Amino acid sequence: MTCPSCAAEVAEGEQYCEACGAALTATPAAPQPDEPAGDETPLEPAGEHSQLEPTTAEPGPETTCHECGGVVAEDGYCTECGAKARSVRDHFTEQPAPWVAGVCDRGVRHSRNEDALALDARPDPGSRAVLVVCDGVSTSTDSDVASLSAARAARDVLTRSAGAGIGTAAAKVAAATQAFEAAVDAANDAVIASTTPGPGNPASCTFVAGVVDASLLVVGWVGDSRAYWLPATGEPRLLTTDDSFAAEQIAGGMSRADAENGPQAHAITRWLGCDAPDHTPRTVAVDLDAPGWVLVCSDGLWNYCSEAKDLAALVLELDHGSDPLALADALVDWANTQGGVDNITVALARIGAAPVGSSLTGQPEPQMKEGTDDGNVLG
Amino acid sequence: MATFSAEVYQNEFLPDGGSDVHAIVTVTCAGAGEAGHSGAGDAAEIVIVDTSGSMGADKIAAAQRAAEAALDQVLDGVWFAVIAGSHEARLAFPAEHGMVRMDSQARAAAKSAIGTFEPKGGTAMGTWLRLATEVFASVPGLAQKHAILLTDGINQHETAEQLSAAIAGAQGQFQCDCRGVGSDWQVAEVRRIATTLLGSVDLIASADRMAADFEKIMRQSMGRGVAAAFLRVWAPQGAQVLFVRQVSPTVDDLTARRTEVNALTSAYPTGSWGDEARDYHVAVRLAAKAVGQEQLAARVQLAIGPDVVAQGLVKALWSSDDTLTTRIDPAVAHYTGQAELAEAIQEGLAAKASGDTATATTKLGRAVQLAAETGNEEATTRLRKIVEIGDAATGKVQLKRSVDKLDEMALDTASTKTTRVKK
Repeated sequence: MTCPSCAAEVAEGEQYCEACGAALTATPAAPQPDEPAGDETPLEPAGEHSQLEPTTAEPGPETTCHECGGVVAEDGYCTECGAKARSVRDHFTEQPAPWVAGVCDRGVRHSRNEDALALDARPDPGSRAVLVVCDGVSTSTDSDVASLSAARAARDVLTRSAGAGIGTAAAKVAAATQAFEAAVDAANDAVIASTTPGPGNPASCTFVAGVVDASLLVVGWVGDSRAYWLPATGEPRLLTTDDSFAAEQIAGGMSRADAENGPQAHAITRWLGCDAPDHTPRTVAVDLDAPGWVLVCSDGLWNYCSEAKDLAALVLELDHGSDPLALADALVDWANTQGGVDNITVALARIGAAPVGSSLTGQPEPQMKEGTDDGNVLG
Repeated sequence: MATFSAEVYQNEFLPDGGSDVHAIVTVTCAGAGEAGHSGAGDAAEIVIVDTSGSMGADKIAAAQRAAEAALDQVLDGVWFAVIAGSHEARLAFPAEHGMVRMDSQARAAAKSAIGTFEPKGGTAMGTWLRLATEVFASVPGLAQKHAILLTDGINQHETAEQLSAAIAGAQGQFQCDCRGVGSDWQVAEVRRIATTLLGSVDLIASADRMAADFEKIMRQSMGRGVAAAFLRVWAPQGAQVLFVRQVSPTVDDLTARRTEVNALTSAYPTGSWGDEARDYHVAVRLAAKAVGQEQLAARVQLAIGPDVVAQGLVKALWSSDDTLTTRIDPAVAHYTGQAELAEAIQEGLAAKASGDTATATTKLGRAVQLAAETGNEEATTRLRKIVEIGDAATGKVQLKRSVDKLDEMALDTASTKTTRVKK
């Protein structure tokens, strides 16, 4: 088959044209006779996880231009500014409840979006939410498919484990840790299932998830995608420690700025996929005892704002009315204006009421549960 | 029913900060059918023959045979008229002001009217064009109006302003293919009529070839079942259309013939279409975007009335990969060279005519070089009759001492004819 955009030869089943980067799934095609058209969406992951419920993202390419708001023509470009309409995979949002939302965006420089996002939340503000972000490793061919199936598989396991470990906080943390291991196993299986067999670079991705259960936040990760706790009062915290060459150098004494801008800053030491040496997640639990934001993101955001205090300041500047979707959008836009060198994903959960005024009362700092040497690793 | 298709040839990759996008768009028409049968309305033809004194007995006789040959090609049912032109215009057929539908009786009557032509009087082509405009306008609802104009001399019996006004009055009213016989007419003057009226211009070197040429023109016109089409160019907000020119089968800059469809879309008249392909070179200047971004630079469309019947997409994709951004599309390179070739020939001949040997040598040398580079052998053959070629690759030439005026005119009239890019 050939790419409808540039006519280059493309392999059957490819998501994107290797020559021009056009999304092959976004082009209108006759529906398969044995498949209801409504089930066919570019977001639907391949393989055994395709029974996942539909997301909030609409199928098909956008009809309103994301750049100028003009009408997108049938040819896939804006009738006003000529911008190429994004496919749903290039840019999608999720908002399972008013207090939880996320945005996953291709960024400026990359031809496709290999980041993924999967969210779940109960309607009551601050009750229970699952926020999963995966960042596909761009050197492999199917990372965009792999990252999305991984994120959804993990999200589903974490959602199903809700309510486990009723009782003490310690029991909840123990149950959550177990749930994370199961979730990452499922995610890893999903990555392997979506890898094209044969030689080449196997699909791989990072993983980070935050599970909010009332005032308890448990975070687990593999790789360099991150979670932050940004309370309205008290010290903002980076909760994850990257599995990366840069993090190893920081541990060895190098400054964060130097390490994260070094030549191998983005080399990760752990990931999901069939060639992953070890995918056991590291986890950390945090007591959410102040209003604030739980922020889970890929390096497309933190590349431009790594330090927790800088990110907190940025959130303070961009947050108008504590709307998680508006804030996630604003953060993604901000990262794009910084250059958008990588795919950008931001997921947010709003904890507590919107901050009233700016009176800083002496709230206690968040408590780390079962802190170890680096302050936040469990198990 | 005619079907159109559009193909785009371009290098869509732009370097960081790059803004200019060039593309060749080939528009192809198939199944055009016959003139006047498209359902859009009737077709009409006028044959305009120079009957000035300078035509003389031989050329008048040849012109009479040519006009008759043309009428033989006009399909039954097509409206037609014949104009005899000198310092004034006379409707030779029909007898009453207006036009009649072609049938065997009308054809015979028209031929006997043509048989009465006598060479006398001067030349005022503006009066011919004005009468043709009036005659076409006398039949309401005509969809396709076409004329053949034959002349042998310079427009002496009216002012340049009068001719310009007549051309302007005819613009958009009918298409006109122009032919000059002999060496006493002015190529630039007749080319101005032909290009404004979306027609061709050519030299008929000897009178005995006139009939075959007229027959061909009329046959071609009868094969144009698509009465009128417009090339439309959409460019994004903030972009600038640098130029739009037809580059095949002939070079014709359309940029100045722009009319506005809407704030972002321009339309350029292309006249009627038969089964044929035409190439257009479109250049658009965009505001540069970041590396990795893609956007549409132009939608190039063919429209019949309000309907877009074919569309080609011209794209821009900013890249930091030099191997992608430095490539020049072969079709763009070819036609850029051919357009420059036409310009070099015309400017070279104009300089030669005004006695500026230095400029003429430089321009015609450049033309020799471009003709060689773009593989336009016909142009090289014609140039060889005007200049001695020292080295085609570097454009080293010398003007020949004695040149046949007809060879010079042949080079001039053929300057806009292009060869197609080898694909």
